[in-house]
Amino acid sequence: MAGKTLVVTSGKGGVGKTTTVANIGTVLAKRKKSVVMIDADIGLRNLDVVMGLENRIVYNLVDIVEGKCRKEQAMIRDRKLNNLYIIPSAQTRDKDSVQPEQMKDLCCELAEEFDYVIIDCPAGIEQGFRNAVAGAEVAIVITTPEVSAIRDADRVIGLLEAGLLRDIHLIVNRLNHRMVKKGDMMSTTDIVSLLAVPLLGVVPESEDVVVSTNRGIPLVHDKGSRAGLAFRNIGGRLCGESIPLEEDAGEKFLDRMKRLIWS
Amino acid sequence: MLKSLRRFFGEKASGQVARQRMQVVLMHDRLDLTPDILEALKNDILAVLSRYMEIDQRTIRVDLEQGKEYTALVSNVHIKRVYRRGDAN
Repeated sequence: MAGKTLVVTSGKGGVGKTTTVANIGTVLAKRKKSVVMIDADIGLRNLDVVMGLENRIVYNLVDIVEGKCRKEQAMIRDRKLNNLYIIPSAQTRDKDSVQPEQMKDLCCELAEEFDYVIIDCPAGIEQGFRNAVAGAEVAIVITTPEVSAIRDADRVIGLLEAGLLRDIHLIVNRLNHRMVKKGDMMSTTDIVSLLAVPLLGVVPESEDVVVSTNRGIPLVHDKGSRAGLAFRNIGGRLCGESIPLEEDAGEKFLDRMKRLIWS
Repeated sequence: MLKSLRRFFGEKASGQVARQRMQVVLMHDRLDLTPDILEALKNDILAVLSRYMEIDQRTIRVDLEQGKEYTALVSNVHIKRVYRRGDAN
């Protein structure tokens, strides 16, 4: 049976697309699914460093598309999980080196072999965005609780719907529960009611994210991290499990104790 | 301290301000009312109204009005004469 193709997108840059791709991919692989992640951000490749695989790149996405290598040659296996791969993007090419049709074909081929194909979309709504979205059947839109990110997310949702991609889910990233409680940050409820897209998960703001990218080890490997837990829950929901959504109020006491023991 | 005092004297929490601003901004973005769409809308309204009354075509105005918690489409039309039933079409 053919696998699922997801695109992770946001419109605005720097809201956590690549981090989300790395973590969702890793968590799905940990759940014994076969996963390939494609870095579609041509010219600004990053998924490889976030995954800690930057030293292993030989071929890239553009090489596959141009027929310079077989797709298996460009796929890099994760250091820990042998059912997780990335296809790095090209660093010295521009976005026009790939066409939407080519991306579509590649995604179709990969979905035959893998349970999940996850595409890391570049920021913006130009050619790179159109390429990344072309082959996807599900879109995950990332936003942070800031006005600029929300506005861009709304625009992207509009474009996705116009392109007939209707299966759209929302992740709210970098939510600061303390600020929400004080009333100085929009709550998840506010954001969901503004964007009118079903919520897939809420990732709390956390220093762990910086630490994990510094090391090149996705956060979901860290059992003590609250943001990591949020990503693990998102992975579970993608697999069809009904895990209750994290409340705006923050963590329950017992969960907090459990997490403190792990950390 | 200063902040909680200000809050006490009725200043809205910034989260609430952000939410209200975004409601307005997103509505404008989604509507995407360019001047030519607004013109087309004006003509359509004019056509519908003209079926019931004679109106002063030069005075019609269609504007988006920004309230505190809402956006309204406001149209002002001067009526010259209302048709009697059976009058005209």
